[in-house]
Amino acid sequence: MNIKDQTGYMLLFVGMDWHKGLSPEQTQKVSEDWMAWFKRLNEQGKAVAGHPLGFEGKSVSGKNRTVTDGPFAEAKEAIGGYFMLDVATMDEAVAIAQQCPGLPFGAKVEVRPVLAECPLKPENKIDEALVGAK
Amino acid sequence: MNALEMSNNGYLLLFHSGEWWKDLGREELQKYLAQSNAWLEKLMTTGQAKGGQALARTGTIISGKNGRTVTDGPFAESKEVIGGYLLLDVGTFEEAVAIAKTAPMIALGTSVEVRPLTNECPSQARLAKLIREEQLATA
Repeated sequence: MNIKDQTGYMLLFVGMDWHKGLSPEQTQKVSEDWMAWFKRLNEQGKAVAGHPLGFEGKSVSGKNRTVTDGPFAEAKEAIGGYFMLDVATMDEAVAIAQQCPGLPFGAKVEVRPVLAECPLKPENKIDEALVGAK
Repeated sequence: MNALEMSNNGYLLLFHSGEWWKDLGREELQKYLAQSNAWLEKLMTTGQAKGGQALARTGTIISGKNGRTVTDGPFAESKEVIGGYLLLDVGTFEEAVAIAKTAPMIALGTSVEVRPLTNECPSQARLAKLIREEQLATA
């Protein structure tokens, strides 16, 4: 798959503290369920890519392009991973998101449509559309 | 490119931004878009970037025990949301941060989050580490 041409939906898993309060066995069970869920979606061709993200992170921002440690103020707002879904409708993407094994423990799932044409490409004329929308 | 086939060494750049284009005129916007495009094309050509996409400023947030709570976007104008991502296939965190620092979008207020991709759940990895430490302490 050329990820550049993918037009589906991105699931962003919000919250990296869902395991707090769970026993090691419970944590392991949820993790395994999560990986199995991805594997199943991948075999069905519905999830075309996905990764957990490591706890560590950096953030670059500001005029001086300052690098700060840890992109997140709170673990519960941190992105813990993502899936790229190759499904046709928002409803289908939402239905998949609702199966997330982390939900009962406080994780949230952000479902975002991927733009078919990257707006960063001037030849796509999206810049004109943006100016027009002003 | 299939992100699944990527080595464990990959990094994900997440672009957090508001509606940066709102205050730009046509010329400035076009200049900036060309700059950003050149930046992306260069990274794709060198193979440092494996793919990236923009996300619409609409979306849905699912939460609650059985995923019953569904909150719809679009997101407020001023709200910082993840407006796009870029997958980097580079060997070190330093290299990923160095690339992030050159992103033209930063000049317009975007902040770039750099995160390592892993192939195992970070919670599970941390748990395994804690168990190892415990075992060492009691050994």
